[in-house]
Amino acid sequence: MLVLRRRVGEAILLGDGIEIQVIEISRTRVKLGVTAPPGVPVSRRETTALAAENRQACDLVQTRGAAGVEDLLRLLKNLSQETVKAPPAPADK
Amino acid sequence: MSERRTVNSSHLGEISLEAGSEIYLPMGLPGFEHEHRMIPVEIPAQRPLIYLQSATTEALCFVSLPALVVNPAFLLQLSDDDCAALDLPADREPCIGEDVLCLALLIPSGNSVQTNLGAPVVVNLHNLRCVQAAGAGLSAHYRLAENGKWEELC
Repeated sequence: MLVLRRRVGEAILLGDGIEIQVIEISRTRVKLGVTAPPGVPVSRRETTALAAENRQACDLVQTRGAAGVEDLLRLLKNLSQETVKAPPAPADK
Repeated sequence: MSERRTVNSSHLGEISLEAGSEIYLPMGLPGFEHEHRMIPVEIPAQRPLIYLQSATTEALCFVSLPALVVNPAFLLQLSDDDCAALDLPADREPCIGEDVLCLALLIPSGNSVQTNLGAPVVVNLHNLRCVQAAGAGLSAHYRLAENGKWEELC
């Protein structure tokens, strides 16, 4: 691991387009400013697992669709499939 | 009369909303750091579900529940960073329902869903700024059982 010593206002560069600047230092924390190109995601290390959860969460409607949401509502309302009556078929003319 | 605009959603169709009713996520959501604007959508027939539809990506739509629906004893814990991102005063606890809305994102889990109450999506109702409050480092997973009850996972 490369270790660098920096003061407030100083920065380091990663490649051509990413700059990390030290904005403020307190007793236990460092405030950093990150400048990066729009395509580079910047996140806190501890949110990595959460990012995977969120990607799964957005799959809920994509993979299950409206029917999946209806099933979910049924579960939430504690109704079994058997007790939900199908809507009446439209009458023939 | 306030200006209205429409947003398309792959799941919800065309959404008509008043200007200024989007929520703003200064940091996006983990995994979706470039999604800064979302639209909360409540469909009366589907209460208490609340959809979080991206204002910029048609296919991106989360399904959530108010955290108190999952666990009525839910207590919100915000880090200093979360409070700063939400523009909430650090000297008092925000009141759920008055100051903030706390949503639990639903994650597919077999035939059911689960959620992590350790990382609720928190919306400041006064300015519509929003963060996913993961700064407290908590993990509290609940799964919706077949009887419609939420069970805490170890």
